[in-house]
Amino acid sequence: MTGQAFFVLTALADGPRHGYGIVGEVAELSRGRVRLKIGSLYGVLDRLAAEGLIEPDREEAHDGRLRRYYRLTRDGRGALAEEAELRAATARVVRARLRLAGAEAAG
Amino acid sequence: MSGDLERRYRRVLRVLPGWYRELWEEDMVATFLDGWLTGDPEADEYISTAARPEWAEVASVAGLAARLYLGGAGAPRRYFAWGQAVRRAVLTVMLVHTTLALDVLVRTAWNRRLFGLPAPPASLMTASPGGAWPAVYYVVNVAWVVMFVALVLGHYRAARVLAALAIVPGLVALLQAQVTGIMPAPFGSWAFWVLFNLVPVLAMTAFHRDAPRAARWPWLLALPANYLLVVVPLLAIQATGNSAWVPDFSGLCCLLVALACLAHAPRAWSRQAASSGVWSLTLTLLAAVAGAYRIITLSGYLHDPHLIKVSLAELLILAAAAALVAPDAARAQAATPAPPPHPRTMAA
Repeated sequence: MTGQAFFVLTALADGPRHGYGIVGEVAELSRGRVRLKIGSLYGVLDRLAAEGLIEPDREEAHDGRLRRYYRLTRDGRGALAEEAELRAATARVVRARLRLAGAEAAG
Repeated sequence: MSGDLERRYRRVLRVLPGWYRELWEEDMVATFLDGWLTGDPEADEYISTAARPEWAEVASVAGLAARLYLGGAGAPRRYFAWGQAVRRAVLTVMLVHTTLALDVLVRTAWNRRLFGLPAPPASLMTASPGGAWPAVYYVVNVAWVVMFVALVLGHYRAARVLAALAIVPGLVALLQAQVTGIMPAPFGSWAFWVLFNLVPVLAMTAFHRDAPRAARWPWLLALPANYLLVVVPLLAIQATGNSAWVPDFSGLCCLLVALACLAHAPRAWSRQAASSGVWSLTLTLLAAVAGAYRIITLSGYLHDPHLIKVSLAELLILAAAAALVAPDAARAQAATPAPPPHPRTMAA
């Protein structure tokens, strides 16, 4: 799973969001490091939809335009949980190795 | 309120395939405008008139368009066929680069009598130019080999970076020759760089996440096979002092693509092999590139009617051979189903 896909799924984890809502949430989650352009966002959204990880939730009118909201599917929730666990496990290994290397350098 | 800006962005979205726009255009426009408009009518009117989609925004749409037109898993048949054909054509051109690079490395080793090799025949002795160019040249040749292996093994990003770097010295040498006025055949030299360097590197965008992996072993084995079946016989002809019989690079491309078309024609006409159409489309693309290069390099032979006749004969052979596979190539666009999208890809 790419970093962008991971952030998009995470942005939808607490409820449906529309396109611009996802862009903002991803920027916030990544502390400004990932700023999705529209072409990239829809490249990720159409791929996640094709893989059955997200689906349209509803459409709402806003300033004369229709905003389409997306939500995680059950598969999407499972994929996100699995990916989060994998990343957390990797982070634990990294922290342990850094601690070990730091201790060796100090000793 | 959002009229001008919306119109400009919709114009950018026109690069996307129609079927994709039908599904996503309205949503993309709404998301784009949400990022610009403030809800204050006065400010929004000014923004709508003055603002334009940023270059990064346009580039992201162009990247999406490239991925869709050169489709992979889950793409409509036509776009999948084009994607596969472009990927195979790029692999073939990169195979040619890698074979040429291998040839340079072998000749260098032979000229310098490395690994206990005996002295080469006088007809194969090459003088090494001075300055920093030889070192750059050999690094570039090694880079081509590494790039090809990386591409076949699926390390697309590394392959793209290496290929982009490998074509830079050629461009610098061309510009240097152009500025100093020592370029013997400017059209041919520039055509080679554009057709065999720049275009394939740009076409490497076809190797995206949804692209099926290339068949690893056939492509890896194609490198030594190409070297043994094409380069070694040419070396032997040169070593025996019969260089006049060796066609120039564009002639060789025409003849090799024509041979490949002839070898593929029985499959293309049988209509039984499901994957034959993509190869027919690939060969048609390669024939177009080889033919274009042959036509452009004709300008260097205007002083010699014999060479013009030989070049035209090569073109005719290529056109006749390509005509054998072209109908199958046209059918391939409607008859090549893409594999379904990956259920879930966990690769980094």
